[in-house]
Order: sequence, then structure tokens, then C-alpha cells
Amino acid sequence: MIILAIAAMLLLIIFVSQFWFAYRGITSRANTSARNELEIKRLNIERKLARVETAIDNMEWAVEDNLSNPDVMFDVVLKIVKSNKDIVGCGISFLPNFYPSKGRWFEPYAVRRSDGHYETMQLGSADHDYTQLQLYTATIEGDSCLWSEPYLDKDGARMMLTSYTHPIRDKQGRLVAVLAADVSLDWLNDVVNAHHVYPTSINLVLSKVGCLMVCPTESLTLRRTIQEVSRNVEDTTIHEVNRNMLAGEEGHRIIINRDGVKKHVFYAPLGCNTGWSMAVVCADKEIYHHLRQQGLYMTILMVLGLLIIAFIIQRMIRNMYRIQTINNEKERIGNELRIASAIQNGMLPKTAPFSGRNDIEVFGSLVPAKEVGGDLYDFYIRDEKLFFCIGDVSGKGIPASLVMAVTRSLFRAVSAHESHPGAIVTQINESMYEMNDSNMFVTLFVGVLDLPSGRLRYSNAGHCPPLVVGSSAQPLPVEANVPVALVSAWKYTCQETMIKPQTTIFLYTDGLTEAEDISHNQFGEERMATAARRAIENNAIDPNSLYQRMTDAVNVFVDKAEQSDDLTMLVIQYKKEQRDLRLQRHLTLTNNTEEVPKLHEFVTGVTDALAMDEAISMQLDLALEEAVVNVMSYAYQSGKKGSIDIEAKADDMKLIFVIRDSGIPFDPTAKEDADTTLSADERPIGGLGIFLVRQLMDSINYERVDGQNVLTLIKKLNS
Amino acid sequence: MNTTIKLENDNQVVYFEGRLDTSVASQVNQDVQPVMENTEHDIILDCSKLDYISSSGLRIFLSILKNAKSKGCHVFIRGINADITKVFKMTGFFNLFEFIEQ
Repeated sequence: MIILAIAAMLLLIIFVSQFWFAYRGITSRANTSARNELEIKRLNIERKLARVETAIDNMEWAVEDNLSNPDVMFDVVLKIVKSNKDIVGCGISFLPNFYPSKGRWFEPYAVRRSDGHYETMQLGSADHDYTQLQLYTATIEGDSCLWSEPYLDKDGARMMLTSYTHPIRDKQGRLVAVLAADVSLDWLNDVVNAHHVYPTSINLVLSKVGCLMVCPTESLTLRRTIQEVSRNVEDTTIHEVNRNMLAGEEGHRIIINRDGVKKHVFYAPLGCNTGWSMAVVCADKEIYHHLRQQGLYMTILMVLGLLIIAFIIQRMIRNMYRIQTINNEKERIGNELRIASAIQNGMLPKTAPFSGRNDIEVFGSLVPAKEVGGDLYDFYIRDEKLFFCIGDVSGKGIPASLVMAVTRSLFRAVSAHESHPGAIVTQINESMYEMNDSNMFVTLFVGVLDLPSGRLRYSNAGHCPPLVVGSSAQPLPVEANVPVALVSAWKYTCQETMIKPQTTIFLYTDGLTEAEDISHNQFGEERMATAARRAIENNAIDPNSLYQRMTDAVNVFVDKAEQSDDLTMLVIQYKKEQRDLRLQRHLTLTNNTEEVPKLHEFVTGVTDALAMDEAISMQLDLALEEAVVNVMSYAYQSGKKGSIDIEAKADDMKLIFVIRDSGIPFDPTAKEDADTTLSADERPIGGLGIFLVRQLMDSINYERVDGQNVLTLIKKLNS
Repeated sequence: MNTTIKLENDNQVVYFEGRLDTSVASQVNQDVQPVMENTEHDIILDCSKLDYISSSGLRIFLSILKNAKSKGCHVFIRGINADITKVFKMTGFFNLFEFIEQ
């Protein structure tokens, strides 16, 4: 707004000053041209009058020389008229009774008629008593040459005239007659109106006494004065103009009449002897017509300019607001992305050794290319098994990160009650396929490492094969299943292998192998394997060291190129150590609950041998009874005889019971826990057995090995 | 494992003695049948001589409770030892029964 106001102000200043200078220029030009006009007219008239004056003055002698012969006077006046085309008529008015023979009035007169022929006559008579005429009396009384007031000559020239009069003296110097040369007022009119300063400007000539000698309305000529004509003008300036003109002054006045019309009057005297005065009247409107037009154009231009400026400013402001809005939006999205990034990061378990465990060590890292990524990994231990996964969602950014979060949650949810990797991936696939409207997919590797035995079972859904880094670095053989969320009802296969103690499993996403340097070369599996082999040579295959070496290798390779994909690594080292057994005992029972007291004896024997206190002993007794009775109830069909083998072994760290049976596959760890918060009415009668086992033991583990169900119960010692 | 039922002060009192494990559970279940048929007395389960209880024993306790509740009777547990209390707490049974000190 301020900019607009300043622009308007500037334009206004330019406009006003321009207008002012133009006004000044036009005023001055009008003044000059009016004065020029007046001057030119004055010169023209003076020249004409001077010619008449000269002609008369020069013929004075002819009259004076022939005073004795009155009849010659007719020739003299005729000669004057003939030799001067400016003079329309010429007469000599003698004093009354100057020539007794001629009577009281003697006035020889010659005139040129409009058709070009000349007439001479004796004008003086009782009807034409020239001695009463003002031009005669004034000349006699003044005894000098003068120009008469304009008058209508009815007898001689029969037209409007003004006359130049010259007194005539005899030899003795006595005044005897008045020589008069008549000049037609038509001529004056022609000269005065030959040119106009402005098309509608009016040129006026006033006589010595103020009669209008030349004016546009012919009927007013000689009959009226300005005072009479201007009665309807309230502005008294006109009277001042009139006075000034009659006084022979020159000047410029502005008159505003009753209608508010403004007129400029320029006036100046004409001729030295006549006492006439001329005025040029111009309408203000006409003088400043061009200025007004120019002002109008300039106003239009200024308004247009302001509109354009206003439009530009408005556009600028709108753009500014838009940019600001975009920036705010960017900032908001940026903040949300940072929060999302933190949430995503929080989903990923960072590091292990797990507290109180020395058989497994894990290190995971996810470096997203953008704020949030589509890679995922997860690991946790349940029932003496390490569940872990690594995956890569198709695409990047927020959509991928949402799918990543879903995948990770599903992995946790499904694996909470399912220990078979194939089944885990199959279930994840079914859930994701149902909700996959955007055709995203996930390559996923799920592994379950049985910690007591080192047996790794895994299912691969289109993910890159992990490296097994032990004495050498070999990729784990993987079957080609489809990525998750693409095909419904796909049965994902499960593979297994034994992981030797001190071996490291190195899992990664293609962000590692496809990391590019500036020339778009990929890091590749070969460089990765080489880095792994170097780690073996340097005995640095513990998760932290191997991760660090791999990261260094890829960073050196990539150098200054921008990270194009999420870079994720999960490194797991299996470190089971063999310890000396302090105790090892066996018991074999049939699948009959009557055998429970035997189990009680067996457990009591073991706890006594390990010098455990009675309360712990009772807890172990209870846990074993529940676990074994559970096997007795479910592993064998009713009525079918079977045996259950129970092994107890203990080292310095823990006491382990391994319960084996050859019954149908049955995983008690997959059962959901009993809800202990229900009321008596809601509570089911059964379902407490395995729940109690979990409560009483430090961990339990189930494996199906060689057609046997193997359930392991572990109690830590010295705790 | 001995199970004895006595009527004391208008209450039916069941004395458990020994180890209530799965091997004896069906026998104990038969022994407590009179309590199941009772409709007018509150029941006291005396555990002062109970050494051990497994989930099959807890199951019997829960059936007694459910049966008594349906008939508007109360079930109290008396003289329970610390180890068995721990099992009751572990399983949430501690919140289901009313306990009386001896």
C-alpha cells in the first residue's frame, strides 16, 4: 500500500508540475499572440491612416492656394479621392458665408461610389448643416488635425465613415475651412477581422468616446458602447477594461460573466491621433483547450499507470504470500518428517548384547536416504530363540515408511505366537496383500535362530541373501519366493542350517550393494564379500567391528556421491560357549498322570543336588509338572501309549530341563497366555499350565527336531 | 493326599492335607463332590496342611468357587502358606477368593 501511495504521489507531482509548466507556457503564448495581433492590427491601421493623413496634409497647399477660386475646390477634392484609394470621399467645409456668392453653406465634396465612378457635389445646405457636425466644430475649436468619431454619412458617401479633418488657413493665417477625408469603416472591419488569434476569438475596436466601431454584431456598430452592451455582465472588471481602453492604456484582464464563462481580454490603443482602442477577447476554454485535453490524457495515463502499478504490486504481494505459505508448509512438513524419522528410528532395536546373555550379540543400523526410509530390520529373543528380519519396501519416502512400519508391526505380532519363519512370512504376506491398494511390495528375510542348538531356520521373500561370515564369507543359499504383498496365498518355503558358534550372519539391503560412486558404479557383492573376508583375516567379525568395516568400505567407495537409497545392515553373531556340566540326570515316564510323583522325586533330587532352597525347588517342581502333564495331555492321542524323556543338566550358569516326546508336533510356546485379570465367572477352568511354566522359569524354548517335540526349560542359577 | 469335609459353625470346611498334584486331582475332585451339592452353607477351604498345588488343583478350587457362587454361597480360604500364596498371586486366583487368617 505504501509503495502504491508513493507511486501515486510521484505521478501526481509529475502531473501537477507538467500541467503547471504547460499552463504557464500556454498563458504566455496566448499573451504574446494576442499582443502580436494587437500590434499587427495597430500597424496596419496606422499605416492606412498615415497614408490618408499624408495625402491630406500634402494637398493642403492646393486648397490654400486656390482659396480665391471656389469652383476649383471641386477639382481639388476629386483629385484627392482619385489619387488615394484609401479615401472614399473628400470635402472642404468653409466657414459660413465665406464666399458670399456661394451662400451660407459651401462644401465641395467628391465621392467614389461602390461601382467605381466618381461624383462631385456641393453638400452644404440647410438640410446638411455641416457646422453642426462634431468633426467640423471640434476641428475649428481645436484648430488642429484630428480623426472624427465614426458616423453615418447620409448625404455624401452614404455609408459608415470616420474622417480625418485638417484646418485650412488663408495667407493671413486665418482659419477658413476644414478639409475632411472620409475613410470607410468597412475597411477597418476588414483589417481588424482579417485574422483571429483563436477561431472563436472576437476583435473589437472602440472609438475615442467608447462607441463600438468594429464588433461581430453589426447592428451594434456605432450605436452602442461597451457599457451598454455589458449590462448583463456582473463582473466589474469590464468597466475597468473600458476605462483603461478609453484612457489609451494597454493590458490584459480576465472577465467572468454570469454563466461562469471565463474570457480573457487583451487590449491596446490604435494609432496615435485617433484615440481608438482595440481589444481581443478570447474564451479561456479555447486558450486552454489543448491543455485541458492534455490534462485529460495525462490523467487517464496516470490512472492507467497507477492501475498497472497496483496490479503489479498485488501480484508481487500475492506471490510473496504464496512463497511464505509454501515455506511455512515446507517447514511444517520438515518438522513432521523429523518427528516421523524419530518415530521410525524408535521402532528399530539398536544394539545388543542382550543383558545377561553371552550367547548372542546383534548390531543393527538403518541410514535412510531421505528423512524417512522404506528399509526395516528387527530382532528380539523369545523362548530362547532369536527372531530377526530385514526388509526393503519398494519405493522411498513417506509411503515406503508407512509400509515399513506396518511390516515391522506385523512381524512382531505374528512372531509372538509363531516360531516357523515360513509361516511368519506367509501370514505377513496375507495381511499385507489384503491392505495393499497401492501395489507396494516388500522384500523380506525372516530368520529364527534357536539359541540352545544354533539351528537357523529362515524364509526369504525376494530379499538379497545374507552372508554367513565364519571361517569364510559365503552367501546363505536362499529359495526364490515372491516379495511380500504381491501374491495372495503364496506358501513361503522355509530353509534351515546350523550356525556354528562364533559365526556371524551379515544381513543387508540393496542400499549397500547398489551404493553408487560419482560415476554410477555400484559397490556390488564382490566388494562386500571382500570387506567381509578382510574382517575375517583381522579377526574382526563381531557385529560392531564388521558393521564398522563394511560402513567404512562403502563410504570410501561412494566418496562424494549422494546417498541414493536407504542403507541398512543387521549383524548377528552366535557365540554359544560350551561349559562343563555339573550335573546331568535322566528320567523316562509314560504318558500317565499317575507318574507325576516320580517327576516330583526327580526334581527334588536335582534341586537337592544343586542345594537350591525349598521355595525355588517347589517352583521348579510345579513348572516341570505343568510342562510334562501338558505333553501327556496333548502329544499323544488318548489311549495311545507313549514315553516322555526328561533330561536335567546344570552348569555354573543355569539349570536346564529338556523334555522330549515322539508325539504329534505340538508347540506349547505358541499358545496365548491366560488372562489372569478375569473374574471367577469369566475364567475358563483350564489354560493355566504353560502360563505357570513361563512365570516360573527364566525362559522356555520349543523345537521340533528329528520327529520329536523338544521343550527346553531354563532356570538361571545364582540369581 | 487326604481330603476331609467337616461341618463347623454352620460352615462346610474342607481340609486338604499333602500334595495336590495332577496324579491325585481326579480323586480329590470326587472327594469334594459333597461340597458341590451343598446349597446353604458357606465353604472354608482349609489349606494349613496343603504342601503343594498344581494347576489341576487350582482347577478344582475354581470349580468349587463357581458352583458356590451360583448358589449364593461364599468360599473362604484358610491357613494358606507363603509358597502357595505366591502361586495364587501368579495366576490371579488371589483376587478371586476371600482369605481368612487362622
